[in-house]
This record gives sequence, structure tokens and C-alpha cells, in this order.
Amino acid sequence: MKTTAFDAQITAAVFDNTGAIFALGDGSVRFEGGEFSAAHDGAILCAVAHPSGDGVLTGGDDGRLIWHRRGEAGVLATAKGQWIDAVDASAESGLIAFSAGKTLTVIDAKDAGFRRDFQHERTVSGVAFEPKGRRIATSTYGGAALWFARIAQQKPTFLKWAGSHTAVTFSPDGAFVITAMQDAQLHGWRLKDQKNLRMGGYPSKVRAMSFLSNGQLLATSGASGVVLWPFIGANGPMGREATEIGFDEGSLVALVASQPKHGLLAAGLSDGRVWLADPAGQGLNFLKAERGAPITALAMSADATRVAWADEDGQAGVATI
Amino acid sequence: MTDTASSRIPVTVLTGYLGAGKTTLLNRILTEDHGKRYAVIVNEFGEIGIDNDLVVGADEDVFEMNNGCVCCTVRGDLIRVVAGLMKRQRPGKPAFDAIIVETTGLADPGPVAQTFFVDEDVKAKTRLDSVTALVDAKHVMARLDDSKEAREQVAFADRIILNKTDLVTEAELVEVERRLRRLNPLAPITRAERANVPLDQVLGLGGFDLGRILDINPEFANPAHGEAGHVHDEHCGHDHDDDHAHHDHDHGHSHGARGHAHEDDIKGVSLSLERPMDGTKFTAWLDRLLGEQGQNILRAKGIIDVNGEDRRLVFQAVHMILEGDLQKPWGANERRWSRAVFIGRDLDEAALRAGFEACAA
Repeated sequence: MKTTAFDAQITAAVFDNTGAIFALGDGSVRFEGGEFSAAHDGAILCAVAHPSGDGVLTGGDDGRLIWHRRGEAGVLATAKGQWIDAVDASAESGLIAFSAGKTLTVIDAKDAGFRRDFQHERTVSGVAFEPKGRRIATSTYGGAALWFARIAQQKPTFLKWAGSHTAVTFSPDGAFVITAMQDAQLHGWRLKDQKNLRMGGYPSKVRAMSFLSNGQLLATSGASGVVLWPFIGANGPMGREATEIGFDEGSLVALVASQPKHGLLAAGLSDGRVWLADPAGQGLNFLKAERGAPITALAMSADATRVAWADEDGQAGVATI
Repeated sequence: MTDTASSRIPVTVLTGYLGAGKTTLLNRILTEDHGKRYAVIVNEFGEIGIDNDLVVGADEDVFEMNNGCVCCTVRGDLIRVVAGLMKRQRPGKPAFDAIIVETTGLADPGPVAQTFFVDEDVKAKTRLDSVTALVDAKHVMARLDDSKEAREQVAFADRIILNKTDLVTEAELVEVERRLRRLNPLAPITRAERANVPLDQVLGLGGFDLGRILDINPEFANPAHGEAGHVHDEHCGHDHDDDHAHHDHDHGHSHGARGHAHEDDIKGVSLSLERPMDGTKFTAWLDRLLGEQGQNILRAKGIIDVNGEDRRLVFQAVHMILEGDLQKPWGANERRWSRAVFIGRDLDEAALRAGFEACAA
């Protein structure tokens, strides 16, 4: 296990093909190997691994989307005068999607001339590619919108549900879209018939959702333990109970991280601890047992062999499992 | 830890219609040599940085919470912008000394204020300090006549800055102040020209801080009889039957800019009682009142003398969101009395008074 202290809040952790990368509130990006990129003028609000697997894409409150690699950085797109609040990228299609205000923008990692801008009625809070990278879901007030990534002129399919939706994800089989909501619950739609799924009971807002175990489980933060929803069969979690692991009355799970093809789950807590667990097995393995500032960034490598975390006070760590 | 009251960043909300002088005041806050670092959330597209400060645009994205509270509307854009601003926070240092939220002239201040009580992330990092309304002495009477939002902004404020006083006569100012006080008996009125008000009268007021609700003086709700601007009407005098008249009466009538008699839909109702109150009865009454009429009650504050309790019960409310706590003990020689002010739309003053007084122990 390696730990580092930074003089700024860490807003995101990401693994690319080489190692862990931290994005900071002072606009800089720190690579695990010590490389440094300070391309943003302001805070980094969102980050995701580049579709090529080399380096990280960051969106900032300076309205710039920047690709940082070890030793170089370049601006891929700008959103004039607006914050870039959310970003996602698809290794499958090579596309990158980000939101600024009410606009969803799609660019192509391999074609600098390609850009699509899609307008929403309300501010976009989250962006997620479907597993094949051809469609994009956005979360916004009143529901989620589904867009085809490459088509210039289109009307989105709008999945309606009253309330403010603050984040969005696709199930790994592409059958469900799940959003987190302002009022401490999840909402889901089965895409083939737009059947609604309501997943509630959280004491706090859900900040992170992550699939694992071949898409059979959705791990979520926002409770005293990690809440796991079963996604088995055509009905997903409909009519099934959630399970909770790692329940600890004294803390809240702030973030979760996992990889869809693997069975391991990492959780970062509001009291600064980080644990790893196999939901099929027993017990928690604490990667960071000492308490501290709330965990603000958590990531698991694609092969589920490494976990990176960081807290609000600038402490960051990387562990090999 | 970052969740203690002292480390939460104070937020000041600036309301006022177009031309009231908000931009002038904001420019002063940003350019004056105060050594502080402010973030200003404005309602314009775009973002400009001035020295150490940050100006960021927001889009007044108001939405309802699904929490069953009918008047619980919040500003989604504020939740998003505040979360983003907090990412600039460095270890052990707040990101900014204060955040200032400017609203448009047509904005309802309720959702802005409620955001700071309802959203868990915003609440953890910031605290609402106060709401200041800027009004333009020359045009405010006409705005109050024709704009519900203008009346609500005045009624909601912790402080009113009466700007551009150099453009009107003293008699007009007295008339304006009288109407402002009737809309809002709680907020002190500061006169200003070209928004030249000291910054300590805008920032750091603690308008929602229970510990700072030390005194409520319903006296200034009305100019006294004989004072310039007082106009007698058919209700005048009906509350003058006790010894502390002027503490607890409200005429409920106002007079328009052009001299015609008419009543604003919003007014402040001041209540007081010299006898101790039954704590349980009072709490039940207040809960019921806010539950039933919370949509119409913009602000409420009170200091209550609870029977058998040495400490004063202090409360403040924004619509249905109520905060109350026992605060410092009554002094040995202090006059122990209960007083409360409710500011709202279509309030039934007689019913409020009857309900309040029925809570006597």
C-alpha cells in the first residue's frame, strides 16, 4: 500500500491501463508514478479513463475537457463559460460524452472533427454510455434521456419520473437504466418496456452506483452499509429484496467501486475508512482502517487487482489486493 | 472535521428587482480591499474571475422535493454549484470566506433559503447567514404595488437596504420605510446611496442563527401614532387596550405610493405575551400552524418564556422548516416575556393572536 498527501481536495480517482490517477480540486492531475499535469484553471469536477486506456479525461469548472497523459496534456473540447459537470467514455466505441449546463456533448477520441451537442430542458447531472458505447443516458430533472451517440438530429427517448435525478448508470447487459435521486432513492427503468423500478430506503443521498459479479449485483452507497440490489433474470430487482453488507451504525458508505466482470467490492466511508469485500464470502478486509476525513474518491482497476482512494483532506492511497 | 458550524461557509443571499443596485453592491463586495475571498453566484451565463474571487453563473433551476412537504422547493443549480465550489477547498482551509448568491428580480427567495436547510451536502458545507433585500427608494412603491415577487423579497429579508435615497425626499423615504416595516417588521432598514452600505451590514448577520436571535422588538413594526407617515384608518386603535400598546399591534393597512389606501397581501404580525407559556402547548400550536399555513408564512422568529424553564426558547422558521432550541438563560432582572413575529401572506392576525395567547401556562 502506498499513500501520498496532496495540498488540495481530491475529486476523483481513476485507473487507466498503467495505474492510478488522481484528479484534484486545484485543477491538477497526479499520476501514481509521480507525473503531474496542471492544465485546468480551476477545480476538476469529473474524470474518467480515456477510451484508449492511456491517461485520464477531466472536466473542469473552467469549461475545458482535457486529456492528460504522463508527460503531456491537451484540450479536447470546451464548453464556453460553463462548468463541465459530468463525463463518461466508452472503450468499445471510442466516444466521449460530457455535460455542461443543459447540453450533452459527444466527441470521438479518434476523430477530432466529430462533435454533437444535444440540448435538454433542464441541467444535466450525469452521463453514462451503454455498454456498447452507442447510446448515452443523461440524468436530469424529471427523469433520464436516452440519445444515440452519433446521430446529429434526433429526439431523445425520455424516461420520465418526477423528481431530480442526480446520477445515471446502465446495467452491463444494457437492459436497465438506473438513476440516483436527490431525495435519497434510486430509480430504474427496464428499457424494453419502460417499466419503473423504485429502489428506496436510503438514509442519505446515493453518490455512487457500481455493478459487479457479471452484472448480477448493483452496489450502492448512501447507507450505513453497502446496499446490493440483485439484477438476475429479466425482472432485475423487481419484487426482490436488497441486501446490505458491512453495516456500521457509526458511519455512512460514501462511495463504492467495483468492476462488472469481477466479484470484488470496495467501499469508502464517511469516517475515512476503506474496505474490500467479496459479497459471496464473509467479512470485510480493511484497506484503510484508521479514521479520517470523508472518502471523496474511490476506484478499482479494470482487472480488480488494485484499489485507489482519497479523502477530502488530500490523503490518497493505492493498494494492491 | 468539516461539519462543525464554525467551519461551514456562510452564505448571503442578495435579492432585489432589476435596477435596485445589486450589481453595484456586488462590485463593491468584489473590489473592496477586505482581504477576503468570496464566491459570487449570479444569474448570468458565464464566469469571470476577479482577483481572488470567483463569479459563477447559475440558472435558477427550482424544483420540488419529493419529501411530502408541499412547499419544499429548492434550487437545484445551487446544490450543483455549491458542490462544485467546495471542490476548491484545501485541507484545513475553507474554499471561500463567504458565498454570495444573487437572485433575479423575479425570484422567490423561499427556494433559495430552503436549499440550505434541505440538501444534506449543502448543509454539511455551508450555512445560510442572511437574506438581504435591496430596494430602490424611487421605484419601490410602484414595484410593491405591481409585483408579488417584490413584496415577497422585502418580506423575506433579514435586512433591507433602501438604496438611492438621494433621489427622493425625506417625506417619501418615511412613507417607503413605513410600508417596508409593515411588510417586514423584523428586518432593520439601512439607507444607502449608490449601495454605499458597510459590508458588515450585509455579510455575517447571522439571520438564521438561533443564538443570535437575542431580541425581537415588535415596536418598530409601526411608526408610532403621531410619527411622520402614520395614517389613521378604521382599524387604528383597536389594539390599544393594554399598557404596552405599540409592542404588539399591527394595523395591517398600508398606503400606496400614490396615496390610495390599500392593503398589501403580505404583512408582519407581531405577537407578545407577558405571562409564561406552556412549552408543550406552544410547540404543538407552532407545529400545527406551520403545517397548515407554512406555504403562506415566509419567515417567523420568536423568543418564548416557557413556564418552568430558565432558558429562553428561540425559534425561527422559513415556510414549513422550523428550527428551535433553548438558548441563554433569562437574567435575574430581565423582563421575561414572549414575543414572536410571523411574516406572511393572508395571515389572520386575530386568529394568530388568539392561538398564541391560548398557549399561556
